[in-house]
Amino acid sequence: MIKCWQLSVFAVGLCAIQLLSSFAVAADDANKLTFINDISPILTKAGCNAGPCHAKAGNGQNGFRLSLLGFEPSEDYEHIVKESRGRRISPLAPEHSLLLAKATNVVPHTGGKRIEVDSVNYKRIVQWISEGMYYDTDAAPKLKSIEVHPSQKVMKPHEKEQLKVVAHFTNGTQRDVTHLALFEPNNKSMAEVTEEGLVTISDIPGNVVIMVRYQGVVSVFTASIPLGAPVENLPTPKNFIDELVFKNLKQLGIPPSEICDDATFLRRVSIDIAGHQPTIEETEAFLADTNPDKRDALVESLLSSPGYADYFANKWSALLKNRRDATSDKTANFAFHSWLRDSLLENKPFNQIVLELLGATGDVVGNPAVAWYKRVKEPEAQLEDIAQLFLGVRMQCAQCHHHPFERWSQNDYYSLSAFFSQIGRKPTSTPGEDIIFHKRGIAKAENKKTRQPLTPAALGDPPFEILPDEDPRLYLANWMGQPDNPFFAKALVNRYWKHFFKRGLIEPEDDIRDTNPPSNPELLDALAKHFVESGYDLKQIIRVITQSQVYQLSATPNEHNIVDQQNYSRFYPKHLQAEVLLDSIDQVTGAVTDFPDVPKGTKAISLPDNSYNKSSYFLAVFGRPDGASVCECERVESSSLSQSLHLMNSAEIKQKLTVSQGTAFRLANNDKPIEQNIRELYLITFSRVPRGDEIQIAESYLAKARVNEKGEPLPPKVSLQQGYEDLIWALLNTKEFLFNH
Amino acid sequence: MTSYRMPMAVLAIALMLGTNSILNAQSVILPAPRVLTTMPMGGQAGTTFPVTITSESVDTKAELLFSDPRITATPQLKADGKPELNKFQVTIAADTPPGVYEARVLTRLGISSSRAFSVGALPEVTREKPNTTLETAMQVEPNSICNAYTTAKAIDHYTFNSTKGSRVTIECVASGIDSKLKPVLIIADAKGRDLSVDRRGGFIDYTIPADGTYVVKVHGLTFQGGLESFYRLAIQTLPEGVAAVRQPATEPVNSISIPAQTAGAVALKETEPNNRPKDSQKVSLPLDIAGSFFPAADVDTYEFDAKKGEVWWIEVVSERTKLPTNPFVNIQQVVKKGDAENSVDVLELNDLPSPVKLSSNGYSYDGSPYDVGTADAFGKFEVKEDGTYRLQVRDLFGGTRNDPRCTYRLIVRKAEPDFSMAAWALHMTLRNGDRAALSKPIALRNGATMIFEVVAVRKDGFNGDIEVSVENLPEGVTAQGFKIPADKSSGTLIITAASGAKSAHSVAKIVAKSTIDGKPVVRDCRLASMAWPVRDSNQEIPNPRLIADVAVSVSGEEAAPLTVVPANPEVVVVAENSKVTIPLKLTWRGEYSGALTLKPTGCGFEKVKTINVPLKSETLNVELDLADLKLPVGDHVFALYGGAVSKYRYNVAAVDTTTEELRVATEELTKATTASQMATEAAKAATDDKKATLDEQAKAAAEAQKKAAAVKTELEARLKAVTSAAAPSDIVDIVVTEPIRLKVTAAEKK
Repeated sequence: MIKCWQLSVFAVGLCAIQLLSSFAVAADDANKLTFINDISPILTKAGCNAGPCHAKAGNGQNGFRLSLLGFEPSEDYEHIVKESRGRRISPLAPEHSLLLAKATNVVPHTGGKRIEVDSVNYKRIVQWISEGMYYDTDAAPKLKSIEVHPSQKVMKPHEKEQLKVVAHFTNGTQRDVTHLALFEPNNKSMAEVTEEGLVTISDIPGNVVIMVRYQGVVSVFTASIPLGAPVENLPTPKNFIDELVFKNLKQLGIPPSEICDDATFLRRVSIDIAGHQPTIEETEAFLADTNPDKRDALVESLLSSPGYADYFANKWSALLKNRRDATSDKTANFAFHSWLRDSLLENKPFNQIVLELLGATGDVVGNPAVAWYKRVKEPEAQLEDIAQLFLGVRMQCAQCHHHPFERWSQNDYYSLSAFFSQIGRKPTSTPGEDIIFHKRGIAKAENKKTRQPLTPAALGDPPFEILPDEDPRLYLANWMGQPDNPFFAKALVNRYWKHFFKRGLIEPEDDIRDTNPPSNPELLDALAKHFVESGYDLKQIIRVITQSQVYQLSATPNEHNIVDQQNYSRFYPKHLQAEVLLDSIDQVTGAVTDFPDVPKGTKAISLPDNSYNKSSYFLAVFGRPDGASVCECERVESSSLSQSLHLMNSAEIKQKLTVSQGTAFRLANNDKPIEQNIRELYLITFSRVPRGDEIQIAESYLAKARVNEKGEPLPPKVSLQQGYEDLIWALLNTKEFLFNH
Repeated sequence: MTSYRMPMAVLAIALMLGTNSILNAQSVILPAPRVLTTMPMGGQAGTTFPVTITSESVDTKAELLFSDPRITATPQLKADGKPELNKFQVTIAADTPPGVYEARVLTRLGISSSRAFSVGALPEVTREKPNTTLETAMQVEPNSICNAYTTAKAIDHYTFNSTKGSRVTIECVASGIDSKLKPVLIIADAKGRDLSVDRRGGFIDYTIPADGTYVVKVHGLTFQGGLESFYRLAIQTLPEGVAAVRQPATEPVNSISIPAQTAGAVALKETEPNNRPKDSQKVSLPLDIAGSFFPAADVDTYEFDAKKGEVWWIEVVSERTKLPTNPFVNIQQVVKKGDAENSVDVLELNDLPSPVKLSSNGYSYDGSPYDVGTADAFGKFEVKEDGTYRLQVRDLFGGTRNDPRCTYRLIVRKAEPDFSMAAWALHMTLRNGDRAALSKPIALRNGATMIFEVVAVRKDGFNGDIEVSVENLPEGVTAQGFKIPADKSSGTLIITAASGAKSAHSVAKIVAKSTIDGKPVVRDCRLASMAWPVRDSNQEIPNPRLIADVAVSVSGEEAAPLTVVPANPEVVVVAENSKVTIPLKLTWRGEYSGALTLKPTGCGFEKVKTINVPLKSETLNVELDLADLKLPVGDHVFALYGGAVSKYRYNVAAVDTTTEELRVATEELTKATTASQMATEAAKAATDDKKATLDEQAKAAAEAQKKAAAVKTELEARLKAVTSAAAPSDIVDIVVTEPIRLKVTAAEKK
């Protein structure tokens, strides 16, 4: 029920609003509070314009709509002051304004109490209403930037630090806005921060960043938390990666682990570059090799092997959404995957691959890169995918509003989409598949909010002058391939760094922004520089990474670096990817998984598309991605109960263990000494020779007499084969096998 | 027979005898004879070699024919002198020019659909053993051609030896000779490690890095395989700097409009750099110049002067020559103000669309599945002002592609009105969801009429009437082309076999006649066909192409299930604006079900209402209101056509023939069995001096018995197959009346 005082206030309020609307809300009084400088930040801090609250897509919350994080203050002002005949504001009795009554929960509010009665913010809103609810004033300064004090600091575990946020305005004034700023750490396990900006460090060493936001501008506070342990006897650096990582470790006082042994390196690098475990022959040859440069030579050999092209084509194929949605997609899927593989095999420069992808024209068989435009059809999706994949920038937010953590506006978004505005399509005989061509004309896209037509402009750059005859996509690709491009090379090297080290220098690997700085900025810059100078040579970036001492550190932690999660003081073990695991199991058991439509013996890492996830439960349950998104996160790399059960109990694994002419059969019937067979088994499974105790355990297990279902003793060979099957099963279920370490 | 060759033989027998299984699956279009594959798919001129075919709806007696009389075939004979099924000895005369010809068989139902058959100058081999591993790779000699087909889910391997620095071209011809294969061609080192891969055009031009053995791998893009995924692998050595000549291939349907090279014209070539306006290549009109869309994003700019009132016709030839291009032309006028220069867009030239509506690959046919349109740029440039103009040619597919083989020819000419023609057997929706795109040989059953869609590509403003007719038809076969009037680009042709015609075939010629600038002109009308009997175009994309000749036959043995003819064969004479009833006579030979509705085809008869035909009615009246049709005075012709379902029995006579053959074979077996028993007993009882002789005789008799038993077994299987094929099956097919002719006379003035 509306109380009578509310009615009278409402009536008077209406008059006041009408009065207000008759004079300019932008006055000249510099001392007056304005909505844009004073009130909107309060609403943001109070969470009123958060996504789940009144900034919810559609109509806000219970009919009251605010723009997300106050990015559209003029619209918010309209909604607060004028909408519904001004019912949310009571100019003659500001304290009785519905805006305040709801925010303080005096009138029941689904969002609860957001502002305390008589708090500073409460009083400011009252004052603002009393002063006539100015939106802006001509004299009012405009926000320019914010500054965080301190901007960086070396901190000890569990230390606290109160941040101070100062807003700088165009008239040179500044204001402490700490109480209105928003704070968020990039790694919550390393630091916590209160709403008031009080940072508390945990006990994990490294760098942690607190992102500070205020009215669409952002800044960061970086805390370095050294472990403080003595860092001595560092391995001799082999390249700039070692120098920069070791420099960081010294600063943080984190001693790195030892260099791993040859067997570990062989298995690690074979899996990481070529997606497969080494064969017995390769392992024995490598272990026996006394050449001091044999690790470098191994890297070269792996880079020139087809396995490299297969493994990385598999990676890019999923990221580029090479997805089979219908049977008729098959040709396009095979062609696109092959194009990727061939490009990698011949080591086509990465900027050339991207140019061919972006500027693709023709039909799928004539130019397989066109298949990307089959899967990603709208300019918005095209720009978002390209930005995330190749620039490491997530533009999705900027389609509807200014990016909350970034500098990108809707104009930036639609200027980027304008590059894709001249894509012509002609139908083909294959359902859903078009011929792609460049449609002559001036490229432009309309900002959906302002209706302003925009010409193509790359991120952070002025618009290009593109003639109607020129394909704007080629401009975008050429811009990416410029040596000074601030995104392209960094995005790639960070993505590849993560491939080898499990964790990107920036995490997530495709979210590069000022407010998400790298854990080792110098290293990221150096890697990007190296990549550009190499001519965007993908093999070279892999070469320099895998030949570094850092990559060759042991996964076994020392007494200090076990807490390290982001400084690469040790190798972080990774789950084998679904395809690699399946191929490895086949390799160990001697089984061959037969996939549809490809020659028998084709490895899982060589499969062209996601359709095999349907035909292979193994691949699905171990997280092979379906090409639904451009995010690497679509690949599940964590353990699950289903995975464990499948490895331990499934008919598929049992069939592989017992396959005719398989490893168990071969070892049981080759009449070699048991110890030699156990050695072979360890070489094939772990790429290392077994320890004495392992041989002893295996020998005693194999020597056990076995009986059939009736309790009758099995013939010796059959019994021995069962023993080998059990032994292989046990080895396959070890972490040593399931992880790359 | 090796196990490897079994699948081919089994398929061949299944296709020949197992027609019933096809019929069961096929519910549209009566069976027509079709050659599916030949192995090999060609040969060297001046050689004789064995060829094995697979086919569909082809009975035991089949004669292999080619579109050039210099290629001949005789049946391969078995030891007993009888012809071996589906096997022939083919001879290519030494003077046969290299090219792609048509191979067909002549059978009970008439002439079959054709299969491309290549003639070349290089020695040829046919792969005989599986070569799907490196270990089993087939050794081939450079400068030869190997005929083979891919195996599903496998990779074919070949090896050849070469020396460092040699230039080797490797070509895998597939789609250009009707194959369903999309080839992937790889050259690898001796260990099989890939060196260069081509997945787009089946062609590699490679310079050998070191002396040694090299491996060539061939597989399908999606690892498809089987007899229909055939290919010809040509490995040739070539001196550096010499342009590689590709193996001959069939012509696409839209190639009919490629203009002939101007006789005696100077061969002009583009000169790079000419991308930018300032680098324009100066030319004068008319122009016929060769260029290349190379390198990536290449733009060729030509600058010329033109006078107000001039009209130029512009045409680019590229995509029609099977190149993966999409040429685009932009013309700008150069406007100068002092030293400043401004370019003003005048004209953009794009694709030449099909003159008839195309089927949109939807639920059923809603247009033609044949496209004579092209992605080549076409257009008319009317000069509005005296001045300097720049013409830019670019490839809308060439933004990132670096392939000098993507060439074009740019023609700018004064109007040379003309037309090009193509015809193909009509494809229409015969039942809901019909997506069949079958190859249709002109193999007429007696009393049958086939209907063809005829399409004209009109050039340079040509707008005359076009009359279509067929010459050199076999005896008993007649044709009627319906006029394509000035404002239309499509018409109809019907070809009819008389009910009483004897078996005959000929190579006919479809001609189109018109008048250009007051002079009569005659143009060939090319026949097009689907390369394969595609039963569901949603699962398999049809592959239409031009056919080298027009083979026509009448069966003489099998009649159409329904014949509809004018009751009076004379021309109906009728007065202008009057009404007339034309009686038709129907001869029902098959059992029909469902409805039969007929609609008109023929210039001026479009408004004739669809007619429902009562099943089994012997006559049908067609009512025409000439006032409504607005038919002018003169001669007119039309026909009616529609679809109807009949119970079809395939080759019923074969059941009786085979039954009789089986009876004879059974008797022969009985005799042979008796003879064998007697000989065995005689041998047992023989005295020593005759024992050896009688043992021999007993052995021979036992062998004869075994052979007789085998013959009987084969005939039993065949009887089963032909009986099954002869079982009635519902098939919906196109029914067309014979042409109905009218003479409209001037109404008497009262």
